[in-house]
Formats: sequence, structure tokens, C-alpha cells
Amino acid sequence: MLESELHDLSDDADYAASQQQGSASMMLGSDSAKQSSPRDGAEIVFQKDNVAIHPTQFASERISGRLKLIKQSSSLFMTWIPYKGHNSEARLSDKDRSLYTIRAVPFTDIRSIRRHNPALGWQYIIVVLSSGLAHPPLYFYSGGVKEFLATIKQHVLLVRSAEDANIFLVNDFQNTLQRTLSSLELPRAVPLACGPSDMSVDESILNENQERADNGVNSGSLSVTQFHGRPRHKAHDPARDLSIQVLEKFSLVTKFARETTSQLFGENHSNGFSANERRTHIQANLDHSKNSSNVVENTSEKSPVALDSHEFDNLSLIWGKPRQPPLGSEEWIIFLDSEGRVTDSEALRKRVFYGGLDHELRNEVWGLLLGYYPYESTYAEREFLKSVKKLEYENIKNQWQSISSAQAKRFTKFRERKGLIEKDVVRTDRSLAFYEGDDNPNINILRDILLTYSFYNFDLGYCQGMSDLLSPILFVMDDESEAFWCFVALMERLGPNFNRDQNGMHSQLFALSKLVELLDSPLHNYFKQRDCLNYFFCFRWILIQFKREFEYEKTMRLWEVLWTHYPSEHLHLYVCVAILKRYRGKIMGEVMDFDTLLKFINELSGHIDLDATLRDAEALCICAGENGAARIPPGTPPSLPVDDGSFYVQQDDEVL
Amino acid sequence: MSYAYLFKYIIIGDTGVGKSCLLLQFTDKRFQPVHDLTIGVEFGARMITIDNKPIKLQIWDTAGQESFRSITRSYYRGAAGALLVYDITRRETFNHLASWLEDARQHANANMTIMLIGNKCDLAHRRAVSTEEGEQFAKEHGLIFMEASAKTAQNVEEAFIKTAATIYKKIQDGVFDVSNESYGIKVGYGGIPGPSGGRDGPSAAAGGCCS
Ligand SMILES: Nc1nc2c(ncn2[C@@H]2O[C@H](COP(=O)(O)OP(=O)(O)OP(=O)(O)O)[C@@H](O)[C@H]2O)c(=O)[nH]1
Ligand SMILES: [Mg+2]
Repeated sequence: MLESELHDLSDDADYAASQQQGSASMMLGSDSAKQSSPRDGAEIVFQKDNVAIHPTQFASERISGRLKLIKQSSSLFMTWIPYKGHNSEARLSDKDRSLYTIRAVPFTDIRSIRRHNPALGWQYIIVVLSSGLAHPPLYFYSGGVKEFLATIKQHVLLVRSAEDANIFLVNDFQNTLQRTLSSLELPRAVPLACGPSDMSVDESILNENQERADNGVNSGSLSVTQFHGRPRHKAHDPARDLSIQVLEKFSLVTKFARETTSQLFGENHSNGFSANERRTHIQANLDHSKNSSNVVENTSEKSPVALDSHEFDNLSLIWGKPRQPPLGSEEWIIFLDSEGRVTDSEALRKRVFYGGLDHELRNEVWGLLLGYYPYESTYAEREFLKSVKKLEYENIKNQWQSISSAQAKRFTKFRERKGLIEKDVVRTDRSLAFYEGDDNPNINILRDILLTYSFYNFDLGYCQGMSDLLSPILFVMDDESEAFWCFVALMERLGPNFNRDQNGMHSQLFALSKLVELLDSPLHNYFKQRDCLNYFFCFRWILIQFKREFEYEKTMRLWEVLWTHYPSEHLHLYVCVAILKRYRGKIMGEVMDFDTLLKFINELSGHIDLDATLRDAEALCICAGENGAARIPPGTPPSLPVDDGSFYVQQDDEVL
Repeated sequence: MSYAYLFKYIIIGDTGVGKSCLLLQFTDKRFQPVHDLTIGVEFGARMITIDNKPIKLQIWDTAGQESFRSITRSYYRGAAGALLVYDITRRETFNHLASWLEDARQHANANMTIMLIGNKCDLAHRRAVSTEEGEQFAKEHGLIFMEASAKTAQNVEEAFIKTAATIYKKIQDGVFDVSNESYGIKVGYGGIPGPSGGRDGPSAAAGGCCS
């Protein structure tokens, strides 16, 4: 596809891949004229090998790559692509690699470059974007920082900061917004990302935190208090929100970079802080998101520039992969062997994750995604299974159909269940053509499937919300038995949502609170302070997989993406975090209490941008990595329950 | 829009008794047979006038299903009024009233005004609970009572307004400290503070005007 087209433009496939993704990061640029990819007439004006980052504190663990400056028409771009398979450490995953890759960042998006010349070790630079984001330090293991800066200077305006001779302000005068941005005071984001050779700046952060710590319990809740204290309009400044958002996300990355730097070059410089003190400080802050947001709040208070909200949307995540068009029938065939087996289910899941499915493919693919049909089944086997299952369905259905009215009189539970289901199917998606109108036969099919399910799984029975989950499945499968079995497969995953005691829901809400604590501790502290930690305002989102939050087509898209279990089987929780993070500024800025928050979240229905949310959710999930996975207690749906009896007991009485 | 007071209402009662329909009839003045069952809570709002004062009702229409109760209970907090609804054609919805009341007493504030509504009175031919039984229950528990129909709109307007009038009277009588929002009452701009004093109402001294 695209890739072959790109190949002749560059010698390495990584570069080509990055270009493909680069078009998205370029769209981040505020200059819409530059949305075209640099591949036409692109010229490499600088190239340096052995430029590396250190994702962990171990000096040996480094990702090496190639740094390039690319000129296209009048714009300059920077890329840093890690080598494939050349990592010194096999432990570094593809995830890491793509996480750190710098994909064609236009210089209009770069605010400054900071050079570091440590006494021991290699020179490195830190690139700070106009959004306040900083990339991890890039170490020039083969030298060349000077040359790098000199090349930039030939193409864009590079001004040495008056305050610090090692800071180079980047300016591209084609763009007025950028001009304004880069004329601003250097953000405090720089010290956050910088190494130990700048302890003077770090010190000021420490002092700042010290001051705050004097006023309250912990820096996290303090930043919230501070938030309240500020004039209202400040809270709506999208630029401010943005920098917090991005920086927080980024801070998880920088955390490693920073620890690396300390480790690499030791702490025994002649600054006031010993290595130990410094570590304690880092420990005391627990995680950098608290720290970073404090820092950013200060920065942006000084920033008079507000990006418009459109830009804010585009910019919200720098490494979120662009969404793809849905998988269509032609491409679908490629995933199948001649007999209809899915040859590489992982690749299929990945493809569906990034783009979803064309509607006409859903009927064929949903059963596979849900695990009703095995990926390795052939066309013939699926046909066979279908007919076997149809008989099985009819048998179960017959169990309740054969209950006579006389028998039903003595079978209260059955009567109640049936009554409840009948009441609910007429209140499910009736505005859709498929279910609209009196005596619509599809309503009866909904009822029959739900009633049959309540016999198939008598213990779980029927619970409200199930009809919402079944409705799109019946719509897509358009066959009673097939819809039933797909629904059964979905309920294998989501059944605990409908436990009478709500423990499946509570464990997910609990896991959600843990993820927000990890990924946005100021927001977490805010919820804590406001007595909102039960996350009941996300109840509907989770119970029926956002069915009421999006229009029908979008819901189906989201579901198939979630069902891939591609980056995580708990992606739905990251979707929750992504949405909350999108509105965190408003939530905290307007000091919403539980009632207001609940109403606000309810009213978001129909206004959530699905693609952007999925991008954010993916990035958050990658960003959180194992830390995130560790916050989700074993057995949290849709994971299968653990059997040792010790599962997700909510020892934490914060929730519930 | 400016209001003198804002009252928070909750609508509670078994699933399917017609809570959402009552709300829709009150806010949109239509009977909507095509609507979805409630998961969690839905919101509605309408302005009414009592004693010439504009009052905004913010109405929380909760899900009735038993297993959602642990969630919906958290919505009771700070409600000034509650509509407790049963379906006159389904006896069990009437039988469950006591447990709803218990929930309300436990999780809402003690001064909450409760209106008991026997809904679907248009279906008189299928009646399973007599008007007298409804009246009797209300009397025993100190509730206001009405039979209504979300379908024909009979008594719907009245039920919501009567509840508001009762709350308003309580304010006038000084039952509430309206500056304490946990009573589910907010004093609006241009509002009249009750005897116990308004929280924020710069024009309070201007008397009955509500512009
Ligand atoms: N005849 C008649 N039918 C009604 C009336 N009010 C509601 N209904 C019907 O009763 C059913 C349930 O109404 P809802 O308003 O959805 O019930 P609810 O109390 O909100 O139920 P949950 O949301 O599940 O708690 C619907 O199918 C309505 O059409 C009424 O006054 N008369
Ligand atoms: Mg309802």
C-alpha cells in the first residue's frame, strides 16, 4: 500500500513508516499549509547516526537511531528513527521504539533546543516543542551537536537565548502564531526534562515544591487548591490545559530519561544537592505527573497565548497513531487463506484496532473478534458450526417456549423475567429503522434472544443494559441464532457487568480510579477532594460499553475496536481516562461537584470525538504500560475471574 | 435564565412505572412511547412560577431496576423534592413503595418533600391498586398523593408544581436554611431570600421582581 510508494524516497523502511505516521504529527502543526507530507522534493540536509536515548536508568539500555533534518520546500523537519533490531537491549519492545520515535516534527512546532555539555559523558540535546512538550534527551554518541545546530541555523532562524547560552530559540517566521509562541519566555518544561548539569534550575523547582509542601499535605492536592484560587478565565485557557495534558503524558516518558541522565553521569557535581537528596525528592513526588503539572501551571500562567480549540484537539497527543480507514472486503481477503482461515489473527486484530470494519464486513468478522468462531476455522467449518449452533439455540429456546400458560402461573420467576424483558425491548433503540414501528418483528427477536439467554445462563438471568448490548449485534448479524451466540460470546466478557451485587461494575470503577491516579494525579486528587472517587459518573459508559454516548455507527466502530483486545483487554478503561482527560480542564476549572459532574458527563453524550478519544486511549495505554496493567486488579472484567478467591477484594474503602 | 430558586428533584420508583414518561410529559409536554429505558440517570429541567417567582426545577430521573440501586442511591443526596412513582396496574410496584421510602429516608435529607404518584391512571380498566390504598399509604407516611397519567398528561403538571409549592412554603416557614445547598435548594440571582436569608442575591432587596 502506501509503504511501497514511499520506499523509493528513502533507503530505510523505518523512515518510510515514519513518514506515513509523520503526516499526522505534521497535522499537529498550526500551519495548515504544511499538512502535506515532506516526501515530495524532500532533501536530507543533515544526518547523524548513533544518536540515542535512554529509556531507563541503565546506561546499557539505550535506543540508538538516526537523526535527520529534512528540508521540504521552505520547511524544515526533524526526525529520529530508532534502528530496527539494533537495540543493545532485547528487552526494549516495539512499543518502546514507536513510543520514542520522533516522526517528522516541523520546526514550526519546535520552541527551543537546549544543549548540554556534561563534564563526563556525551553531549546531548533536549528539544522542546511549542506545546511545552519535550522529547527525551538525545545523546550524540558520535558527536555532531554543533554541526546539527549549525545546519538548523542555515534553514530557520535560531537565536541564542540571552539568559542561557546553551538554549537556542527556534523561530520560523512563516507563522505568526509560532512567532508569538517562541518569543515567550522559555517554559519551565525545559528544566523538567533536563539533566543534572542544570541543577540551578532544578533547584528552583525543588524550592517551589518546598513552598507548596509547607502549605499543605501533598503537592498533588495542592496543585488542585491552587487551581481553584486562580481567576476563572485562566482555567479555560486551552493552551494551559494542553501543556498540562501533554506534559503529563510525556512526563511518564521523561521520568525514565531523567533517571537515566542522573545514573549516567552521576550526581557528584558541585551543586547543592547530593544524589540522595535528589532521589528522595523524586520519590517524594511519587510520580512526575504531579510534579510536572505544578511546573506547567506556572509556565502557562505567564503565557498569554491561547491556541484555538481546534488546534488543541489536534495537538492533544503527540505520539497517538493516526486512525486508519476501516478494513474493507478487498483487504479482508488478504487476511484469509484459501479456505478461509485467518492466518495472522494478531495482524487482523491490529488492523481492526486501528481502523474498525466496513459495515458489510461486520457480519463476517464480529463472530471471530468475539471468539464465537475460532480464527483458525475454515469457511466450511464456520458454516458447519453455524448449523450446529442453530440447533442448539432452538433447543434452549424451546425450554421456555414449551412452558404452558398454566405452568407459567406457578412460575413467578419466569413471568417476572419475561415481563421485564418485554417492557425493555420496546424501550431499546426504537428510533432506528431496524427497530422502529409497532409490531416490528425485530423487537420480538430481541425478546426471544434475551429470554433464551436468561435460560442459557439462568444464574445471571436478565438485567437492564443487556438489550442495549444485544441491539447492535442483532442489527449486524441479522440472524436470530447467530446474534444469540455472538451475544453469548460478548457476555462471556461482560457478564460480570450485570451481576446483581454489581461487583463486576465496582471492580471496573475501582480499576478506573487507579488508572486516573496513575495517569492524572491532579484530577484524581480533585475527585478525591470532591468525594467523587466512586466514579459513578462513568457507570453507564462501562456498563454498556459507551453505547449511549455515541451514535449507532460510532458505537459499532468503538465496540469492534475494543473487542480486538489489541493493546489491552481493558482498553475501555483507558477510553474513560481519555475522555476525562479531555475535559479535565473544564471539570476542575468549573469546580464541579458530584451532581454537576454527573450531569456534565451525561450531557457529553453525542459530543465525544471517537477517533481522537481512541488515539488518546491508545497512547495512554502504551504510556501507562505495565504500570497501568498493574493498577488493574486481576479478574477485573473483561478478564476472566481468578479462582484463588483473593481477587480484587476492595480493601480500599475509598471506593464504595 | 434567572430564577429565584432552583430545586433539585429526584424521580424514584420501580422500573417501568413511567418515571421517564412523566418527566418528558412535564418538560416537553408530550407522551413519548419511543424512548430508551433509563440506565443510571437522566436529567431534565423546567421553569415554573410560584407566588410570581420563577423557580427552576432540575429533575433527576433515576433508573428503577433493583440491581442499580447501589448506584442510584448516590443521586439522592441534596434533593429538595422526590416523586415516588408506582404503576396502578402493577400491584408489586405499589408493594415496593416501603423499600423506596426507606432508601429515601436513609440517603436523602430529612426535610425532602415527597410526592407519591400512582401513574398510568388512564389504564383504569387494568387497575390493580385502588385510589384509596394510595391515599392511605400517603397519609401513613406523610406524603402528598396524586394519581396521574404520563400518557394523557392528567395531573402531571400539578404533581410537579404542587411539590414545588410545598417546598416553597417550607422555605417561607423557615424550615430550610437555604444557604445550605444540601437541602437541594439554590437561591438564584434576582431571587428572594427566605426568612433565613439568601446566599447570593444582590437584588434581593428589590422585592418580588424576578427580572
Ligand atoms: N398507558 C400508559 N403507559 C405509560 C404511562 N407512563 C409510562 N407508560 C409506559 O410504561 C412504560 C415504561 O415507562 P418509562 O417511563 O420508560 O418507565 P421508567 O419508570 O422510566 O422505567 P426505568 O427507566 O426502567 O426505571 C413505557 O413503555 C411507557 O410507554 C402512562 O401514564 N400510561
Ligand atoms: Mg426511565
